[in-house]
Amino acid sequence: MILKRVFIIAAVAVFFSSCSSDDDNTIIENNEPLGAYDEGVLILNQGNFGQDNSSISYLSNDFVTFQNNAFLAVNPTKVLGNTGQDIGFYEDLAFVVLNASNKIEVVNRYTLEYVATIDTGLDNPRFITFANGKGYVTNWGDGGVTTDDYVAVINLSSYTVSSSISVVEGPERIIENNGKLYVAHQGGYGYGNSISVINSTSNIVTNTIAVGDVPNSLKINNGNLYVICGGKAAWTNDETLGKLVTINLTNEAVTGTIDFASGNHPSNLYIADNSIFYTQDSDVFKMNLTATSLPTTALFSTSDQGVYGVYSFAVENNKIYVGDAVDYNSNGEVYIYSNTGALEKQYTVGVIPAGFYFN
Amino acid sequence: MFKKLALFFALTACSFIWAQQDSIFHLREVVLTDTQLKNFSNSQNTTILTDSIIQKNQASLTSLLRYNSVIYFKENGNGMVSSPSFRGTTAQQTAVVWNGININSQLNGQTDFNTLTTRDFNSITVRAGGGSVIYGSGAIGGTIHLNNEVSFKEKFNNQLRFNYGSFATLGTHYNLDIATKKVAAYASITHNQSDNDYEYIGYKKKNENGQYQNTSFNSHIGYKINQNNSIKFFGYLFDGERYFSGTIASPSKSKYLDFNTRNLFEWTNYAGLFTSKTKIAYLTEEYKYFENKNSETFSTGKANTFIAKYDLLYKLSSKIKLNSIIDYTQNTGSGSDLSKNTRQIGSFSVLMKHQLTNSFSYEASLRKEITSNYKSPLLYAIGGNIKICNWYALKFSGSKNFRIPTFNDLYWQGSGNLNLKPESSLQAEIGQVFTYKKFSLTTTAYYSKITDMLRWLPNISGQWQPINTDNVKIYGIEGLLNWQKEFKNSSLQINGTYAYTVSENEDTKKQLIYVPFHKATSSIAYRYKRVSVNYQNLFNGEVFTSSDNVYKLKEYFVSNAAIDYRIGSKKAIIIGFQVLNLENKPYQNVASRPLPGRNYMMNLTFNF
Repeated sequence: MILKRVFIIAAVAVFFSSCSSDDDNTIIENNEPLGAYDEGVLILNQGNFGQDNSSISYLSNDFVTFQNNAFLAVNPTKVLGNTGQDIGFYEDLAFVVLNASNKIEVVNRYTLEYVATIDTGLDNPRFITFANGKGYVTNWGDGGVTTDDYVAVINLSSYTVSSSISVVEGPERIIENNGKLYVAHQGGYGYGNSISVINSTSNIVTNTIAVGDVPNSLKINNGNLYVICGGKAAWTNDETLGKLVTINLTNEAVTGTIDFASGNHPSNLYIADNSIFYTQDSDVFKMNLTATSLPTTALFSTSDQGVYGVYSFAVENNKIYVGDAVDYNSNGEVYIYSNTGALEKQYTVGVIPAGFYFN
Repeated sequence: MFKKLALFFALTACSFIWAQQDSIFHLREVVLTDTQLKNFSNSQNTTILTDSIIQKNQASLTSLLRYNSVIYFKENGNGMVSSPSFRGTTAQQTAVVWNGININSQLNGQTDFNTLTTRDFNSITVRAGGGSVIYGSGAIGGTIHLNNEVSFKEKFNNQLRFNYGSFATLGTHYNLDIATKKVAAYASITHNQSDNDYEYIGYKKKNENGQYQNTSFNSHIGYKINQNNSIKFFGYLFDGERYFSGTIASPSKSKYLDFNTRNLFEWTNYAGLFTSKTKIAYLTEEYKYFENKNSETFSTGKANTFIAKYDLLYKLSSKIKLNSIIDYTQNTGSGSDLSKNTRQIGSFSVLMKHQLTNSFSYEASLRKEITSNYKSPLLYAIGGNIKICNWYALKFSGSKNFRIPTFNDLYWQGSGNLNLKPESSLQAEIGQVFTYKKFSLTTTAYYSKITDMLRWLPNISGQWQPINTDNVKIYGIEGLLNWQKEFKNSSLQINGTYAYTVSENEDTKKQLIYVPFHKATSSIAYRYKRVSVNYQNLFNGEVFTSSDNVYKLKEYFVSNAAIDYRIGSKKAIIIGFQVLNLENKPYQNVASRPLPGRNYMMNLTFNF
């Protein structure tokens, strides 16, 4: 009896050691390159914390074609990296900013074929935009240091960082208008409350516009810059109000500020169809561009889908796109709603869907 | 007597595992200060890793246990932060017990197994299953006991050991072990360092920024005042500096410093049927994290623990032992993200062991804590051991155990949650032990249920906070095998462990991340006269790296081989050579963090 048991255990051990397979540790449902990744949306997934499994999903505008791990399908020998943060389009290129990997992967935006990697001169890169034939990338530097933040200037023919522009702490989203760059200082590890204006000819910070606390999203429409400031949360023991700030870009003056009610912390500003969209926890709100007060009720709530705080958000082609990070460890979900909030489609994407980039 | 024993151990210098051979304690006539490990562990599996096994393995506690126990380790790269999963539990649910004192971090609740150097301990015991009644918070999956043994046997021994190997890995260790009938003193100093710049097989990349060094100092002094009174002091200091390596696609520039001290003073008094131990312990832990190694900016956390303990053992008869323990613990924690807080916990435990007949004994115990910080459940354990015949015994036990919220869980600025409950675990196990001469096989089946498991999750405003959320069902089987055979000029030793573990979130029906279904280890050691050869291997089944069980790391099988040659007999010089990861297998036990391929180590030990 003893020997028999010994034998079984030994056999089990041998069995498990001999059946090592060579499966890869990532999942691809449809791993053939699609060839064309335009006429649709690229969804950037951050991946698990500390892992190199950031990924790109593709969904066609007609919702017929869907693919996860599109970058890997096209570039099977490349690792996209750790914590995909933003994608910027420039001519026929897409620049994928990978925060924890401190690099930018440059790919053809229509085929996703690898073009180049920019991996020097970046330090905690966040968001990218383009002006005057140059790329501009916000960088936190060391999260714990408040004085080393900068905007890296990218030479778009050599794919290198050509210079850097020092800015105040926590530069996050960046947007271009008429040769000028507007950088929202969300605050990094701290809490920012300003917008830096950079002249893309001189690469000099020409102005600083004070806004509310924690400016987390910004959009430009018809010569105006709209900024959603989340305000400081209650747990900071210094809670402040959320704000929607409007800035006239001709004279860079604040022309309107709407305060949110105490305890409400909005984010995810989007402008479409002459309307402002934003989210607050699981709710999506819509208001007219010219409205001077906030809507009292939400357009709809995503809580029926179990979305616990909208992680990423976009409005395009009369559809509302919501990215749900689920438990921040599992594959995320993307929900697509009609412009009135009726759920139309649902897709399981990669881990932590961070942004939608319509191509 | 001691010399004979020493010779015996030296001659059988090969990988040893003694499973549940309590007799070894008596054999060695040494005094463990962790008396409950000896007196109240009869119904559970204890595996003793002796000095000779410790010598045969790499210096970190991670590598010793990875190859010699059923415990699974997640290592953020070789030598980086290492956390265990014992019987399907989380890193905070395995307690590390230093000379009877639980030393899991007060800040994050776990022990980093790469911040303990095995060379500093005389023996390391793995005790599977719950032990919160005796060892307190975190003793759910099992406990790892680091023991320094104080023996009043006359001796004067010195040992000096060097090892040097791939990636400029250097280890030096010196110890002095002296004793008279009245005084015993031991002191050791160990230094380990490595450039640790191994290649990531298949990636044309190296492990950048992974260099580490650490120094530890360990001592104990015992003084026998008279026949009935003795005092002992144990001290341990660990000072480590690690650069944290990145992942395959992400460089890192961070650095981490650990500085931990542990001090224990103990007075033992024998008075007739009573043995009392009065203990005072003072532990400190401190870390500094540099996001950028070139910067002066760092974040830090520290905690101090003061423990006063009174432990009274009463031999009611030759068959019945009663033990009561009163414990007062005060923890103070603070840090750059942690407001300064102090927590006080009082606890009272009673334990009983009854040898009812020659073949049947049982144990029962209770513990209750009093604290204002959390609602403390009544903890209990009950177990028995039936020797059915001389080659077959049955063990069974059941217990309720817990893990209390840590300082980070409670007080992290902006995230701490003061309304947390302890995690609790109810478990039962049954094991059978087959022994025949020097062969032993233990198989154990267990079931446990963990409720109110703590997890950090983002709340609705995106702020990460710990909450009591998950309920987990864990069951599995474990097998431990060892066999040794002595021949005229040679000896053979075979050991094996195997664990099958299901650890399932009851809501999602998914296996917990980083818990392999299968893990097996085996080793074979053969000695012929002065030469001994040793081969050990490890099979680790696939693990999921995401809670939806979509992402996984594939299984791996790695092995090591070693050869030793002894010069001299009594105070020998030993020369050894090891090949680690013999087959140069690429593998990871944390996603995106490859471990080293084939590498080599030489070692030289002088005993004088």
